Amino acid sequence: MADFLKTLVETFPTFGKAALITVELTAVSLVLGTIIGLVFSLFKLSGSRVLRGIANVYVTIIRGTPLIVQLFAIYYGLVSIVDFGQFWSATIALAIHNGAYIAEIFRGGIQSIHKGQMEAARSLGMTKGLAMRRIILPQAFKRIVPALGNQFIIGLKDSSLAAFITMEELFMWAMRYASSTLEEMKYYTIAGIYYLVLVMIFTYLVHRLERRLAKG
Amino acid sequence: MLKHKKWSLILTTMLTGALLVTGCSTNSDSKDAADGGDKEKKQEWSFAMSGQYKPFNYYDTKTNELTGFDVEIGKAIAEEMGMEPKPVATPWNGIISGLKAGKYDSILGSMAITEKRLKEVDFSDPYYISGAQLFVAPGSDIHTIDDVTKDTKIGVTISTTYEEEARKYTDNIASYDSDNKALRELADGRVDAVITDRLVGILSSKEMDIDIEAAGELLYTEKMGIAFRQEDDDLREKVNAALKDIMESGKYLEISKKYFDRDISKK
Repeated sequence: MADFLKTLVETFPTFGKAALITVELTAVSLVLGTIIGLVFSLFKLSGSRVLRGIANVYVTIIRGTPLIVQLFAIYYGLVSIVDFGQFWSATIALAIHNGAYIAEIFRGGIQSIHKGQMEAARSLGMTKGLAMRRIILPQAFKRIVPALGNQFIIGLKDSSLAAFITMEELFMWAMRYASSTLEEMKYYTIAGIYYLVLVMIFTYLVHRLERRLAKG
Repeated sequence: MLKHKKWSLILTTMLTGALLVTGCSTNSDSKDAADGGDKEKKQEWSFAMSGQYKPFNYYDTKTNELTGFDVEIGKAIAEEMGMEPKPVATPWNGIISGLKAGKYDSILGSMAITEKRLKEVDFSDPYYISGAQLFVAPGSDIHTIDDVTKDTKIGVTISTTYEEEARKYTDNIASYDSDNKALRELADGRVDAVITDRLVGILSSKEMDIDIEAAGELLYTEKMGIAFRQEDDDLREKVNAALKDIMESGKYLEISKKYFDRDISKK
C-alpha cells in the first residue's frame, strides 16, 4: 500500500499532464458532439424528407460501428486524403461518435414536450424556429440533462481509445508504465483512479446544473 | 400479424445462422480430435509473438495463419523436440506478463535479450542477431542519430527496446502498436524518424512499397532469444539443444535464406 501511494505521488507529474490531455480531448469533442447532436436531432424532426434521411443514415452508421473502427478509419485511413493529426483525428471521431447518441437524446427530449406548447407558441405568432428556440428547447434541455451527463461520462472514458492513435493521454501512459515495469495491476489501477476522479468531478457539476435548472 | 411474421423471419434467420456457425466449429473440433487420435498424441509447445512483425511473424492473408521467420524456426524446433508447435499471437505490450501467467510456454517473437528482461524471464541461446536502425524519409535533414534533437518526432512500437533507445534522444515520441504502422507513418510524413530492427525496416518497406531509408550506422546490435519462465529450465535446455541441431543440420540456414537471403545467426 505504501509502495502504491509512493508510485501514485511519483507519477503525478506524468499522469497529471496526461489527465489534462484527456480532459481537453473530452471537452472539445463533447462540445462539438453536442452541436452535431442538436443539429441532427432537428434534422430528424424536420418536415424535409431529405434532412430526415441524412440524419437517419448518420445515426445508423455511427451508432452501428465501433468507435475504435471510426478512430482508425479517420486517423490511419484518411491520411492519404487529409491529415488531421492525432489530436483532431481523436476529437473528430469522438465528436461524431457521441453526436449520434446525443442526437437521439435531444430528439427524445424535444418529442417529450407536449405538442400543445408548439401550437400555443405558433398561435401567438412565433415562427417555428423561434418557438423551438424560446419555448421547446429550454424545456427539453432541462429534461435531458441527466441523459446528456451520462453520455458525457461515456465520452470521457471512451477517450482512452485515442491511445491507439498515439495520443499521450492517461491510458497511453498506463500502458507504457505497465509494460516497462510489468506491474500491470498497479498502473492500470492508477489510471482507473484518475478516470474515476474525473467522472466524479463531472457528476458533481452535472448535479449542480440540474439543481439550478430545477430552481430557475 | 405482418409484424409478427417479419420478426419470426428475422429470428429464424439468426437461429439458422447460429446453428450453421456452431455446426461448423463442432465439425472442425471433431476433425482435430480425429487427427490427434491418428498419430501418437504429441505434447504441445505454445510460443507467443505479436503477429505484427513482418517478416519475422505475421498473418498470411491467404491462409489466415501465422507465418514468418520466427514461426518457421519455432516449427523446426518443435519437430526436432517431437512436439506439436502452437504459435500464438498476443499484443506485444503485455507479452511477458502473459508468459509469466502461463498463457503460453515461451515467447518466440524476435525478443531482444536485455538485462531488464532477464530479471523477469530466462532466454535461450540467441537465435538471430540484428540491430536497431534509425530510418528516415528520403531527403530528410536527419543523416545520423546526431541530427536528432529533443523535438524530433520518433515513431516506435510501444514497450520495445527501441522505445527506450528513442527516449535517450528525444522527448517527442509516438508509440504505435506495431512497427509496420510506425514505418507507414514515417512514409506519410507524420513522424520524422523511426527506430526499429534493421531487417524489419528494410524488408517491410520493400513489402509495403513505401519509400524510406536507413540513416547512419546501427545504433547497437541485438541478440534475439526465446523467452521462458524462470522455473522452466528443462524446456529451455530442450529448446537450446533443438536449436543447435537445426543450426547444424542446415534447416536453420534454409529458413534464414528463404526470408533474408543470408544467415542471420551471424552479424
